[in-house]
Amino acid sequence: MNQLLGVEMLKIRKRMMTWILLAVLVAFMVLYVVFSYLSVTSSSSNVSPQEHSALKIALQFPLAFTLILSVTQSIGIILLIILAASLIGNEYGWGTVSQVIGRKGRRTLYMDAKVVALIVITLLLVLIGLAIGTLLSIFTTYKLAGGVNWDFFTSSFAGHLIKMFGWTAFTIMIYILLAMFFATLGRSVIAGIGGALGYHFIEAILVGVFNNASGWSHRIPDYLIGHNAQSLLVTGLDRGPFGSSTNIPSGLHATVVLIIYGMVFLGMILYLFRRQDLTA
Amino acid sequence: MKISNNTDEVVVKTENLTKKFGNLVAVNELNLKIHRGEIFGFLGPNGSGKTTTIGMLIGLIRPTAGRIEIFGQDIMESLTTILPRIGVVMEKPGLYPYLSGSDNLLVLARVSGGVNHKRIGEVLELVGLTSRADDKFQTYSMGMKQRLAIAAALLSDPEFIILDEPTNGLDPSGMKEVRELIKSLGNQGKTMFLNSHLLHEVEQVCDHLAIVKQGKVIAQGETSHLLRRGGALQLRVTDTEKAISILKSTEWISSVTREDDSIQVDVPLERAADISALLAKNNIFLSEMKARESTLETFFLEVTGG
Repeated sequence: MNQLLGVEMLKIRKRMMTWILLAVLVAFMVLYVVFSYLSVTSSSSNVSPQEHSALKIALQFPLAFTLILSVTQSIGIILLIILAASLIGNEYGWGTVSQVIGRKGRRTLYMDAKVVALIVITLLLVLIGLAIGTLLSIFTTYKLAGGVNWDFFTSSFAGHLIKMFGWTAFTIMIYILLAMFFATLGRSVIAGIGGALGYHFIEAILVGVFNNASGWSHRIPDYLIGHNAQSLLVTGLDRGPFGSSTNIPSGLHATVVLIIYGMVFLGMILYLFRRQDLTA
Repeated sequence: MKISNNTDEVVVKTENLTKKFGNLVAVNELNLKIHRGEIFGFLGPNGSGKTTTIGMLIGLIRPTAGRIEIFGQDIMESLTTILPRIGVVMEKPGLYPYLSGSDNLLVLARVSGGVNHKRIGEVLELVGLTSRADDKFQTYSMGMKQRLAIAAALLSDPEFIILDEPTNGLDPSGMKEVRELIKSLGNQGKTMFLNSHLLHEVEQVCDHLAIVKQGKVIAQGETSHLLRRGGALQLRVTDTEKAISILKSTEWISSVTREDDSIQVDVPLERAADISALLAKNNIFLSEMKARESTLETFFLEVTGG
């Protein structure tokens, strides 16, 4: 397993795509915080007073951490769907999956190594997002509050932050598994990206539709991935800018639902891959 | 890798190996036997199941029925212990375009396990790619890609090497180099399985061969024996007309044709003595008898009906 994991990390590290995706993450984080800051400070801003006030608080510590992780989650899902789908789909396209399986034979181990490599990459991505966001938030807090007071950073807060960090990575992982599933099913990058991003965006529309419905269909979003992923993050530290929303499942509910999705996706990936005939 | 010299040892044995894709029977009750040290040619028209057979030999494709034994072990039970002893050059090189030649080999060496850094240099040297080792695979020419794929197959110094169209995309000198490499590996006692549509290539390097058509073996054996079997005899006799009449009425002779004052008889060459005896019995005497061995091309076209 260690050898295969090392191979996967080497392949990810040597790919230009990895570094481009990282650059996109950094650029997105910077632009998001800069534009948010400008909309708060600009007198000609179109935001309502309530939104203005919520965003102003969100750009300052300690609530800034919720915003940072929420933004990291949003962009991280898209970037890592692309990476995960490429990591699987390209292997079919290049014929390298046959090259590796034809000399190792252990299909489950091969796929497990990819999953573990993507867990490591997800943790790194969230860590980088958190680091960049923290630096930017020092600036926004300083500008909006006249200074940074670190008194809130108690051991209990650090524990919460670690938990939030884990949840952010965990929710991204569910989408990674979804992308891996589609890429394995369709044996292509396009299938992986199209399937997972398609689900991600369609779900956002469906949640809006079902939230306005009545009866049992109103509860459907409670069993969808994105709704639970967002809930898990929002319930972590403080509802902050999302505080007005009470229509979200509990942390326990979201965790259980997402774990079930993750296990089902992983099981289906391994089942499919073990049964596939590969081209020699 | 120390290789046993026991040429009686069966390295590959398939029994009624069958693969169906839906209603299509790609491989149909295939029975192959390859002994240690053989350079085995695997021939067949396009779509005859050759690449599917290779896929099944290395566990990429699951057989619908039948059995494969490699090194005396069933591959369904012992795949992970068998594969490190096999090297495969696939039809499509199957390497990472964004990695350099040496990084590609490094990746595959780590996957295989037990391959040291020195060996990567050795195989690069062997295929003549040392000077381009640090260039990205995507910048290689088709021939260089194929040579790197051969280097990858040799990384773990395997006992049994499968080559699926190894000279694809190579220029004539590249083809010659690969042929020489195959022969030299054969001389080292390695067992080789060569799938190629280039008949003269197979004829030049393979000592044994099998021809498949629609997933079934239609001819198998020693190359020289098969070519003799598909050969012809050219005769000059004392009474040409009478000889033609007698030979045409003989059951085990497939065809008799007159060529000026000589006769061409399509018959396995080992039956030359029987022909001589048959004619003598009828008071016809030979003034000349020449064996004309079939080429692999004519033999192939004859047995495949192409």
